[in-house]
This record gives sequence, structure tokens and C-alpha cells, in this order.
Amino acid sequence: MKPSSLTGRQRVNRMLARRDHDRVPRCDTFWADTIARWQREGLQWDQNDVLRLLECDFQGLCWSWPAPFPLQRDVLASDAETETVRDGWGGVARYWKGRSGTPEHISFDCDSREKWERIYKPAMLAAPIQVDTRMALLRYREGRKLGRWTHLSGVEGFEALRRLIGDEAFLMAMIDDPDWVRDIVKVHTDIVLRTYEAILAEGVAPDGLWIYGDLAYNHATICSPAMYRALVWPEHKRMADWAHARGMRVIYHTDGRVGAVLDLFIEAGFDCLQPIEAKAGMDIRVLAPAYGSRLAMFGNIDVMKMATNDLGLIEEEIRSKFAAGMATRGYAYHSDHSVPPQVSWETYRAIIGLIDRHGAY
Amino acid sequence: MPLLSDLTAAVAAGKRTDTVRLTQELLAAGTSPQDVVEKGLVPGMAIVGDRFKRNEIFVPEMLVAARAMKEALKLLEPLLAAAGIKPKYTAIIGTVQGDLHDIGKNLISMMWRGANFAVIDLGTNVTAEKYLAAAKEHKANIVGLSALLTTTMPSMKETVRILKSSGLDGLKVVIGGAPITQEFANDIGADGYAADAGSAVDLAKRLVGEAA
Repeated sequence: MKPSSLTGRQRVNRMLARRDHDRVPRCDTFWADTIARWQREGLQWDQNDVLRLLECDFQGLCWSWPAPFPLQRDVLASDAETETVRDGWGGVARYWKGRSGTPEHISFDCDSREKWERIYKPAMLAAPIQVDTRMALLRYREGRKLGRWTHLSGVEGFEALRRLIGDEAFLMAMIDDPDWVRDIVKVHTDIVLRTYEAILAEGVAPDGLWIYGDLAYNHATICSPAMYRALVWPEHKRMADWAHARGMRVIYHTDGRVGAVLDLFIEAGFDCLQPIEAKAGMDIRVLAPAYGSRLAMFGNIDVMKMATNDLGLIEEEIRSKFAAGMATRGYAYHSDHSVPPQVSWETYRAIIGLIDRHGAY
Repeated sequence: MPLLSDLTAAVAAGKRTDTVRLTQELLAAGTSPQDVVEKGLVPGMAIVGDRFKRNEIFVPEMLVAARAMKEALKLLEPLLAAAGIKPKYTAIIGTVQGDLHDIGKNLISMMWRGANFAVIDLGTNVTAEKYLAAAKEHKANIVGLSALLTTTMPSMKETVRILKSSGLDGLKVVIGGAPITQEFANDIGADGYAADAGSAVDLAKRLVGEAA
């Protein structure tokens, strides 16, 4: 098959079906500081130009993370570097100004089941659709014109729990009050699916669903596989069933070491796993032979190796992992997280060349 | 009279009510507060750390165990203070400058407290100077540095350099976080690296000369 003989949409669909295609599909994510560095080093515009240069095959249409109070954003404090904000979920967090990084979560107002049922659940259920459905339609038309694989995106219930009641409270609630956890995950899923239905009603016919929820960290899943199965998995399955009933495939994003729950992902109906974090011990050279026929693999190229700017090391990373993934016909390129600012623009352009060289079937 | 081993089992299972009740009963029966901590609670948290390392339990179970111990310590700390008994070792912990992430740091802080270290938590976005000042003020044995982001690893390197060149006698600097590896710890001259909260307890004990 000649290179680039397929559209991105055809390529990704064939990858997800393990059918022959011309080259490895591609997408990537970058920290804001990385794009800023690359602009200093010669990148003309923004990350969209990087994705064009990469020949990205994917087109996101929306981002759904419904908040109980979508208009709430109160700045409580501000200094030269950070801003402390009460957000639409009732939480207070400190954010960096104008640079990459995760926020510091300071407090969460939804700190009891009573408050959830009295304030936050009714507010979530009463809040309007929080995605611009017309914009999703425009992005869909653009994506189809560019031949890209179009997808709805958003957060799933596990991540929603963390944002609403905070890590420590929700993880202890998984033991203390599992029905509360189930209820939050279910309500979140109801609203997300309602949002996606509103987008479909505009005439959008996406190819898939790309949902985000970090279930794990370097050492293991955050909760046990059994707890995940009991409290969160049913809503994951519901999302996957909803997508499949509408002809869509499902990509699930989670960081961390998730080897212990891959069978549950497959059972839920997830078609593809992304980004397969190398520094958490995930390695498609091991995973693809075992799971590749049932779960497509998307990512796993180690950003820590990219950050060395050592092209020999990076090429071996790409060559060996592409070979393992491509052997299943179910592999797409993505870094294993987000490309960090230690990677020079020159290096990233060379990486695109390596993807060309090693990613052709 | 309940046994200290009952208390150990209660805290290891994260049973907050039982932990508090057994603590009260042991004190009422004449067990010293120091023994309640060192022979009841600390072994319970050691079980938690071991089971966590082996993936037999996960973060929720670790959190409820730490909560149970914390509740018991509320009863014990005034008694320990009145008797002039303090933890033998002091640890400083924080997330390095440029990084606001705190979940991993909080877990390690809980587990170090569970191992009967006095823990001074400096929070997030901590400068090297602040770590150094706290280490001097509290005569710390250990300083723990956490980083989530690859972008803050250089800040960790600089903090380790400043702490190690400070001349503070016997101070050990340990590091951890998502992008951190043993190799990186070796490269920047840290005294140790821990991959998870359970291992962080073993590491701290080993570095202060206690059997892990």
C-alpha cells in the first residue's frame, strides 16, 4: 500500500479494526511551555501547526466536563506566579499563570453526601448543556473536510469524582460510602451522554469517543481492580455501549500502570488504550502481543527519552515499539503523556521523520 | 483488657472507631502512650505499607488506615507531649519549586507519620532555601522532595545540590514523583529514591539507621 493513500479517518478506522492500512495513525499532545520553546526556536504559529506537520489523523469536536455551577469562577487570590480560584465544581485550587502544570487543590466544597444530594447533584442535573454544540458541528465539518477521524471528548466518572470531592475524600468514600461514589459517577455519565446526544442532534456523526480518566499512577491503579469494577466500570461500560450503538469506537485515556485492569477495559468495550505511560512501566513490546488483538494501543513513546534529545535513543524507542504495535495492525503514535519543554524543536522535527521512517506498513 | 495486637489489626484494617476505642481501653488499662504508639499503631501502619507495596491494598485502604491512626494520635499526642516524649526522627517534606502537585507528597507524609516520624509538611512550590531553613530549624534527619512534572526535575536537582552542600550533619535527601527514577536520584546526588509510599517508609528508616 502506498504511503498516505488513505484519509486519516479511513486509516484510524482500519487500525481499530486491525485491517491493513498505509501507515501508523498519529496524534500528540504538548505542554504549553513546549510550544513556547518551539516558537522561540522557529515554530511559526501554534500547536495546530505542529499537528499539521505531524499529519495528525484525529479531530476533537468538543470537551465535556460538566460542572454544577458552570459560570462560577471566583478569583480568591492572585500573585505574580499563581492565581487561586473557586471553580464551577465548588473547589478552590491554585493555578499557574501562563505556564504548564497541574493545579494545587486546596479545598472541595462538596465534602459530604448530604451536600451532594442537597446542592451539587440538583445543580448538576439542572445545569444547561455546557458544550457549544454549534462549534462541535463546525469542527466536525472541518474534520471531515480534512479527512480526519472525528471524536467527541470528555471526562469520565472517575476523573469527575476527583474534581468534585477531591482525591482523599473520594478515595475514602469508595470504602465508607460506595453508593455515594456510584451515584456521582452515574449522574456525571448521564450528563455527559446527554451532552453528546445534543451534539449528535446538530447533525454530527463522529467516528468515536475519546474519554479521559486517570485511573492509575506509577505504582498501580489508584483503587483496586475489584473496587474499580464495582464502582466505576459499570458507567464505563455504559459509555462504551452508548458509543457502539451509534457506530462509534471508544478510546480510553488513562495515565499510569493499568496492566491489572486491561481485561476489564476490554470487557467494558474500550477499543483502544491511550497514552500507555512508559515511565509507569507500561510497554507495548510486552502488552501488544498479549492484548493487541483485543485492545488497540495508542502511544507509549517515552517522553523521558524524547527529553534527552538523543536521536539514537529516540529512534530505538520508536523503532522497537512501532514494530511491536504494528505487528498487531492496531497501533497509533502518541507520546506516552505530553511532549515536555526539554525537547527541542529540532528534535521533534526529527521525531516526525522517524515516525515517517518506521511507521509505514 | 485488649491487646496491642488488636490495635495493630484495627489500624491496619482502617477501622477508625475500633482504633480509637482500643486506644482508649489500652490507656485506661495502664498501657503507656508510648507503647500504644510504638507497639500498637506503628506496626499496624507497617502492615499497611507492606501490603501496599505488594498491591494487596491500594490508596483508599491506605488512606482509611492513616485516618484511623490520626484519630488515635489525637488522644495520644497530648499525653506524649506531657511526658516529654517526641518522635525520634524528624522529616521535612514538600513539592519542589515550580510544582503545585501534592497528592503523592501527602501520601508519603501520612505514611512517615505512621512510622512515627515527626513530619513538617512545607506544602507545594517550595524553594530550596525554604527546605534548607526548615531542615535547620527542626534539626531534620530526612528531607523529602516530590515532583510530578518533568519540567520541575531541574528544580529538584538544584534543591538537592543546595541541601547536600549545606553542611547539615547527617541530613539525608530523598526524592520521588511520577517522572523520577533511581537513575535520576543517582545522577543528582540524592540519598535515595522511593517509587511508592510504602517504599518511602522503608527508605526513611534505612537512612536513619532503623531496620526497615
